[in-house]
Amino acid sequence: MPLSAYLIVSAILFTTGVLGVLIRRSPLVIFMSIELMLNAVNLSFVAFSHFLNSADGQMFVFLVLTVAAAEVVVGLAIIVSIFRTRRNIDVDEMNVLRG
Amino acid sequence: MTNLSLWVLLLPLLGFILLGILGRSLARPIILGIAWGACGLAFACAALSFLSMLATTPDAARTVDQQVYTWVASGTFQLKFGLLYDQLSATLLMIITGVGLLIHIYSASYMEDDASFWRFFAYLNFFIFSMVLLVLADNFLFLLVGWGLVGLASFLLIGFWYQRKKALAAAQKALVINIIGDFGLMIAIFLIFVNFGSLNYQDVLSKVGTAPTGAVTAICLLLFVACAAKSAQLPLYMWLPDAMEGPTPVSALIHAATMVTAGVYLVARTNALFEAAPIALNTVAAIGGATALFAATIALFQLDIKRVLAYSTISQLGYMFLGEGAHNYGAGIFHLTTHAYFKALLFLGAGAVIHALGGEQDMRKMGGLRGKMPITFATFLIAALAISGIFPFAGFWSKDELLGSMLALAVATGNVWYYILWGVGLLTAGLTAFYMFRLVFGIFFGTYRGGTASAQQEDEEDETGGHHAGNVRYNDVHEVSPLMWAPLAVLAVLSLIGGFVGSLALFGAAKWHPLSGFLAPVFASVHASSVDPSLAIAWTSTGLSLGLGILGIFAAYSLYRRGFAYQENKSPLYQLVLNKYYVDEALTTLLINPVLAFARVASRFIEGDALDGGARGFALLFRGTSDGLRRLQTGYVRNYALAILLGAVLIVVYFAVRG
Amino acid sequence: MDIATIIAFYVLAVATIASGLGVIVFKSAVHSALSLILTLIFLALFYLQLGAVFIAIVQILIYAGAIMVLFLFVVTMLAPDGDDVDGVRDPIGWQRVVSGVLGLSLVGALSYLLFTGTVVNTATRASSANGLQAVVDKQGNIEAFGQALFHGFAFPFEVTSLLIVVAILGAMVFGRRA
Repeated sequence: MPLSAYLIVSAILFTTGVLGVLIRRSPLVIFMSIELMLNAVNLSFVAFSHFLNSADGQMFVFLVLTVAAAEVVVGLAIIVSIFRTRRNIDVDEMNVLRG
Repeated sequence: MTNLSLWVLLLPLLGFILLGILGRSLARPIILGIAWGACGLAFACAALSFLSMLATTPDAARTVDQQVYTWVASGTFQLKFGLLYDQLSATLLMIITGVGLLIHIYSASYMEDDASFWRFFAYLNFFIFSMVLLVLADNFLFLLVGWGLVGLASFLLIGFWYQRKKALAAAQKALVINIIGDFGLMIAIFLIFVNFGSLNYQDVLSKVGTAPTGAVTAICLLLFVACAAKSAQLPLYMWLPDAMEGPTPVSALIHAATMVTAGVYLVARTNALFEAAPIALNTVAAIGGATALFAATIALFQLDIKRVLAYSTISQLGYMFLGEGAHNYGAGIFHLTTHAYFKALLFLGAGAVIHALGGEQDMRKMGGLRGKMPITFATFLIAALAISGIFPFAGFWSKDELLGSMLALAVATGNVWYYILWGVGLLTAGLTAFYMFRLVFGIFFGTYRGGTASAQQEDEEDETGGHHAGNVRYNDVHEVSPLMWAPLAVLAVLSLIGGFVGSLALFGAAKWHPLSGFLAPVFASVHASSVDPSLAIAWTSTGLSLGLGILGIFAAYSLYRRGFAYQENKSPLYQLVLNKYYVDEALTTLLINPVLAFARVASRFIEGDALDGGARGFALLFRGTSDGLRRLQTGYVRNYALAILLGAVLIVVYFAVRG
Repeated sequence: MDIATIIAFYVLAVATIASGLGVIVFKSAVHSALSLILTLIFLALFYLQLGAVFIAIVQILIYAGAIMVLFLFVVTMLAPDGDDVDGVRDPIGWQRVVSGVLGLSLVGALSYLLFTGTVVNTATRASSANGLQAVVDKQGNIEAFGQALFHGFAFPFEVTSLLIVVAILGAMVFGRRA
């Protein structure tokens, strides 16, 4: 299969993740959508690594993986503490920035 | 040659920083240790460098332009911070640090009861630093920095007793008038840069010939505006008498010995420019002469002893400019030197009297102190003889060198104006002798007139803004402490013998002119036009001025030998002079009140409706716009994320369309 | 090209995209999480197909294993009854339409670019003597990965460890009862 086939799968997955962030209102699902986006990018990295015959792409995937892990830990901790204070985890409720 | 001038600059700065930061919490002996140490070490460095310069030959090796660091480097334009240590700056450093040290010592006792003891010494060290910077700077820009900083130091010290309204007003007045001078100096510096492409003294002074005479004249006149403001010459002299609101040691150091002579220094430093601009140099001479006479007449009838001395300072500064105007820069610096000794001594002596009388400055409440304060009396008398130009005291030599070269110039050119200026100088010499001895007789002779509190005196005290003018009884008056009279004694010795560094040509020692010979390389541009008085001219001038001086003393003696008795005098001429020609009143009416009135009108109409109206219109415009834009901020995070997606899509679509 | 590879690719692609869509379509957060696990496993298979063995294993261990367990744990703790906030009327409902249009244009524009853009010449790359394939053939997959990681990427690797420490501290700070 050509490189572009993998990249198109990656693009579709990424867009799915973006739509999830834009449409869903539960922060948990938004988080999952972000993971989806990260993984879509990972797929394109691995595909590039394969087709360019270089290990660099895999290195980036490895780093993205650790960053994602760290991000999930902190993000979920934030969600838990918000839930603790507000008993509610609708992102639309957090709108103090409204003009 | 050992050149420690950088230390002379940095030590007082260090003292100022230490005292400024820690002073409040330090014990007085430690404060004194820091302040005296900084100033004393600076003096030691200055003296060491000076002696080492004396031992250096030839003359060319005596000038050192020490580059400290490059401040601005922009293309071919380079601005370096450098210290120019030559004969002129060496002489002035000796005066600044030497007199400064004496006044530091004196102040320890004079200010002992003051709550802000540390602040006073911090300011003093700051002043020494600024003044050294002014003198040592090797270019016009850092001269301006020093020039501004001494003005600031003067402002701070005049307003040292900031609880007094009059002191604040005086400080403000000094600052405002000095700013006029700073402005002139700034414009002069711009012109110098445009015409010479450099700000370094040596560069500029060596290229004088390349600039058109008109430009040089403009530069010199602007420089002289700065000098007139700093050195209290007509018409910018008004701040100096008011500056007497500051503590007396400050008056002695800043407003007599050092800062006010900065103008004399600047003219001497840029002598090559002034030599190339005869109009400017004649202006210097004319203003110097006019100021000398004008201030001397005001000094005749003043009742506050410090004010007499202030007007006397203005008058003597006029002499210095007169000498410089007669191409004899060396004589100007010479008179600066001797004046630093005897005028500092007069102020410190007056300070001792004021201190002993618990703050009294009015001559009407003094008298008969000769027996109670013998040391102060003796030193004050020496200083008065010196300033009156009586042989062989210091003032005799410097004043006669000035007047002699003025007369020689008049004879050589045949110009009647030079004769008039010389005559003015002579007349001033007589007046000086008269008002100084009026002061001597008023303070030290006759019977004591203070010590009885009356209703009228109470009123006067209120007017002076809460001076603690103590009604000290005669028997309670004591000689001041050794800490205070020791500096007096040192200065008295200098006033006695300080003149011998001048020329002894009058008495046949034609080769004896150490100071002017020492300074000659700095004034190298002058020698072509320099007019050395012949023996006959010198004797004529000297004889006349000495005669007038003795006449002045005799007049004072015949009027006041039994003590000073104040009588109301209604004659309009007397009132005119007593009220200082009503200059302050005229200024208030003609300048200050109209400006204030204009400001009031402007604040109501121009500022109120014209300017604010426009500003309000803009405010409304922006408020309306932002009211609309505000709605974009929905507060929904998802909504903001949509904007990111929109941006991403636009970028990708752009690439897709561009192909 | 091997027909089996092509079939595997299409099957995997369809399955990945379908389960990915599931993440954002399912009403219940638990279902979304399960669907995400499925997506991650499919992606791991993709990695295997592309020869990234180590990454594939790590993907399953860390992502599908550790991270998703954490997700499920929080989901069950906070919203056991499903994602009921979505039951309330969306205050910015119009955004669904706009995002849909924008999403489609993104995919469309990207696909257009990918089909018409420059093609990477894989033939010359694959034959390079010190390329990834050569190292894998000589030393094996994991060794090739380790060598690349600790030679060229040692510093980012260390920085990542710092990041993890910070994340741990952050989680502790947030997790403490105020």
